Amino acid sequence: MLTISGVFAGYGGGDVLQGLDLHVPTGAITCIVGPNGAGKSTVLRVVSGLLKPRLGTIELDGTRLDQLGCAGVLAKGVAQVPQSQALFPQMSIRENVLLGGYTLRRDKTLLNKRYDHVSELIPIVAERSNDKAGNLSGGQRRMVEIARCLMVDPSVLLLDEPSLGLDPKSLTGVSQLVRDANAAGTTVLLVEQNVRLGLSMATHGVVLEGGRVRLEAPAGELMANPEVAELYLGGHASESRTARVSGASLPADTGSGR
Amino acid sequence: MTQLVQALALGLLIGGVYALMASGLTLIFGVMNIINVAHGALLILVAFITWRIWSLTDIDPILLSIVMTPLMFGFGWLLYKGVLSRISGSSPGMSVLLTFGIAITIEGVLNVTAGNRFRSATPSYFSESYRVFGISLPKAQVFGCLAAVLVLGLLYIVLARTWTGRAIRATAQNSSGAALVGIQAGSVAALAFAIGTATTGVGGSILSVLYPFFPASHYDWISRLLGIIVLGGMGSLAGALVGAIILGLAETLTATYGSLQWSTLIFYGVIMVVLLFRPQGLFGSRLRQDVMA
Ligand SMILES: Nc1ncnc2c1ncn2[C@@H]1O[C@H](COP(=O)(O)OP(=O)(O)O)[C@@H](O)[C@H]1O
Ligand SMILES: [Mg+2]
Repeated sequence: MLTISGVFAGYGGGDVLQGLDLHVPTGAITCIVGPNGAGKSTVLRVVSGLLKPRLGTIELDGTRLDQLGCAGVLAKGVAQVPQSQALFPQMSIRENVLLGGYTLRRDKTLLNKRYDHVSELIPIVAERSNDKAGNLSGGQRRMVEIARCLMVDPSVLLLDEPSLGLDPKSLTGVSQLVRDANAAGTTVLLVEQNVRLGLSMATHGVVLEGGRVRLEAPAGELMANPEVAELYLGGHASESRTARVSGASLPADTGSGR
Repeated sequence: MTQLVQALALGLLIGGVYALMASGLTLIFGVMNIINVAHGALLILVAFITWRIWSLTDIDPILLSIVMTPLMFGFGWLLYKGVLSRISGSSPGMSVLLTFGIAITIEGVLNVTAGNRFRSATPSYFSESYRVFGISLPKAQVFGCLAAVLVLGLLYIVLARTWTGRAIRATAQNSSGAALVGIQAGSVAALAFAIGTATTGVGGSILSVLYPFFPASHYDWISRLLGIIVLGGMGSLAGALVGAIILGLAETLTATYGSLQWSTLIFYGVIMVVLLFRPQGLFGSRLRQDVMA
């Protein structure tokens, strides 16, 4: 269980997270939704250690994470795919993925074993291993970013808007990958603007507003919640259209296209 | 024809030495956005120490770089830990102010201890040359360039093949991405600064033989080196190499076909024209923006 208690955090100009309390159950896929600027990315940043909370605690199965910094949090098995530009653009795909195993660098056997495993799981790693990461499309980059995280065999995977900028086919691939990782035992904490997609993947849903948890429920229940439906699933015309298009394409494409 | 080949050969020899001197500067900028204005002063400091030891012991100045390089590695590490780490995260402008202060301090110390006079180490081969196919290559230039190429090769291997090198490149390309894979920015920055400073151990030893110098010579050197890395693209090692060779060739070609006084003007002319078309320099990279698939 990942537990966030009373966290206040910001970027120097006031708190973005204002006393956040959140429980992320082990083995589940938890999806955070909420309006732009609600602090969703900030939640993931305080968990992964990119941002230190000003107040409050973050615990994983009873171990404090909030003072460890990125390297320390990673060592506890928590890996993050950030919202954008996670890769090293002038390095090859192979080097990018290998760097995911930076903390394992002294154990060459393990490193190679993980690399082989990851490139089997995510074919693009092997197919484009010598290409520069900067030359990939958005969907391919997401795949490589997830591959990089899987190098440490994380117990918790933090994903910031994995659907951002992806075409429907890549979307299918990425969401399947997330489900597979979860089926293999990884706890997933996910942020999605594409609420329908996010909640359809998730077992638990959280609505974040103004840096606080507004609603917290099983994902299906949240989808059926009239307020959520009004605000995030049917409210704004253009948003509902994108949500419907990518949501509808999901089941049909699942299993193909990878 | 021979004249042209002679100018080109000399230009390449000089360019190789410039490339080594600029490599440390561009590495430090690439990893931590520090414009190390003290890089020239560190070169002059090494040149003075080398010259002094040579004049006392007659040990070959370029060979002395074997001692000076690890010393400067340590000095660079201390300088980062003690001084520069305090401004980590501030703007590059702040680093210019701070390192300018360091440069002036070194200049002042040299003025007091070594005296404000021109010096030059002149080992036995100083005025000798190799003759190859009718062109003459001064031995000092050849040794200097060989040492520079050797060190650049080592630097390349460290950066390309080791985990330290990967961590340095990763931090330079994407610092938050590097943090997320567990690379600790502080220790990488200290290492990169130390490695960048270590190159002055070799560069300064070569300088002591090839160029007469005095404490304030560092202004001259830093402007030349900054010109090189701006032309090549700040933070790019390949860019530093190409920029350095362009400067070397500009100097020897203008000296051969015009007059040496024009060489600086021509070089800065080239920089201006290149920047008009490529503001990021020849090899400078801008992070690829998010492109929707
Ligand atoms: N690096 C940053 N520096 C300053 N403010 C930031 C930074 N990142 C985010 N913010 C601000 O914090 C708030 C929450 O941002 P974020 O967590 O990215 O929102 P979300 O991911 O929910 O869209 C926004 O008002 C945003 O402007
Ligand atoms: Mg966000």
